[in-house]
Amino acid sequence: MEISTETDGGTVVATPTGRLDGSNAREFQDALDAVVQDTERALILDFEQVSYISSAGLRVLLVTAKALQGNGAELALCSLDDPIREVFGISGFDSIIPIHASRADALASVKG
Amino acid sequence: MTYKILVVDDEPDLEPLMLQRMRRQIRSGRFEFVFAGNGVEALEKLAADSTIDMVLSDINMPQMDGLTLLEQIPDVNPNLRAVIISAYGDMQNIRTAMNRGAFDFVTKPVDFDDLQVTVDRTLAHIEEWRAALDSRDKLVALQNELDVASKMQQSILPTIFPRTSDYETYGTMTPALDVGGDFYDVVRLPDQHIGLAIADVSGKGVPAALFMMSSRTLLKGTAISFDNPGQVLSEVNSLLQEDDTDGMFVTMLYAVYNPVTGEFTYASGGHDAPLLVQADGTSTLLPLTGGIALGVIPEFEYKQTSHVLQPGETIVLYTDGVTEAMNAGGELFGIDGLQTYFQSSPPGDSEATGLQVMEAVSAFAGDAAQSDDITCLTLRRS
Repeated sequence: MEISTETDGGTVVATPTGRLDGSNAREFQDALDAVVQDTERALILDFEQVSYISSAGLRVLLVTAKALQGNGAELALCSLDDPIREVFGISGFDSIIPIHASRADALASVKG
Repeated sequence: MTYKILVVDDEPDLEPLMLQRMRRQIRSGRFEFVFAGNGVEALEKLAADSTIDMVLSDINMPQMDGLTLLEQIPDVNPNLRAVIISAYGDMQNIRTAMNRGAFDFVTKPVDFDDLQVTVDRTLAHIEEWRAALDSRDKLVALQNELDVASKMQQSILPTIFPRTSDYETYGTMTPALDVGGDFYDVVRLPDQHIGLAIADVSGKGVPAALFMMSSRTLLKGTAISFDNPGQVLSEVNSLLQEDDTDGMFVTMLYAVYNPVTGEFTYASGGHDAPLLVQADGTSTLLPLTGGIALGVIPEFEYKQTSHVLQPGETIVLYTDGVTEAMNAGGELFGIDGLQTYFQSSPPGDSEATGLQVMEAVSAFAGDAAQSDDITCLTLRRS
């Protein structure tokens, strides 16, 4: 798992790569914890390069969403593959984390 | 600490020389020396004193030479390290000694400054080696504890399943190597109703195992108190929130089956949809009920829906260990994989079906390592 970030005003866009599962959940968590500190308005996770997410990965997103909420910021996702989109649908996580089709849509929604 | 060094040499001059040249380390308590005149004597000393840390041995000696001694040392104590004293330029014996496990060598006449460095280096290696052995032992102990945790988890799963002339149920789980968080349960309810639950806790390891235990206990208690699956999940969700869940959650599907009417009423908390399989092997996914995984949102009202099972129909409940089983090529089995499987192998009774699912997953995964618990719970109306 690799993660690259870019900042646009108070919004951070992070792009994790590869599988997000139990084997790297801690690494993923540490990477996002660092990003959460610098996020004033919103954190957008671009899932373009993510091939798989397990429940351990979902847990990291949940912890991150809560941490951001505590700072008055929000979490949004974009560019999910169909199978990954389905995981969010089945688990019900799409009802607590906004999911957008593209990075542009996600940026527009957090700025709006 | 004091290191005990066994010096093996048939020349009597070495003993006083060694004691003289190493007197500072002896006085400071760092080194203690033991002496032997040949290999046989050396082995006797080693057998009698297990606190000896290293051996410093000459090669040519009567009765048993240093090269033979090297071969014998591991039988007495595999964690000892030996340094050989050889004639200058005697490459053949030095190579033989190294191949027989000597840690290092020094040459005659002994340069005591060089010997000091060699002994220090050997002892530093012994220290690291012992630390590594210690860590390994602790790891083994921890692994044993985890095995116990894993067995406990397995042992709380029901192994006897309700079966009447109207219906049968069956549940099975193949745990992953790590202690994980899948479970299933079958609960007898009033009016001959049966409660069926399948669940998957996020993550793995001890925290997931503990969370699984408390989820299961809460479910069992709640199932007996409420008739409606939706209400049961709402209640378990609220109870789970009372503890700090540290971001952990559990996906759970809970259903109540009425054997008289065949009505199968279920609510899903973020869990995969039930698969309805006909006697001929065709199958469809039953609709989800829009519930989120338990432990995520403090108050959530879980909805339920129902399907009336016709005689011969089977319900298959499963965790993502089934659908996300991966083969060596990195492909996922998927719900499609399971549906295709049933088309060629229609379900038998609930037990046969449960075992069939496990076999299908295992056949698909082949040699690929199992990364998640694989769990399946089946119900068939006869």
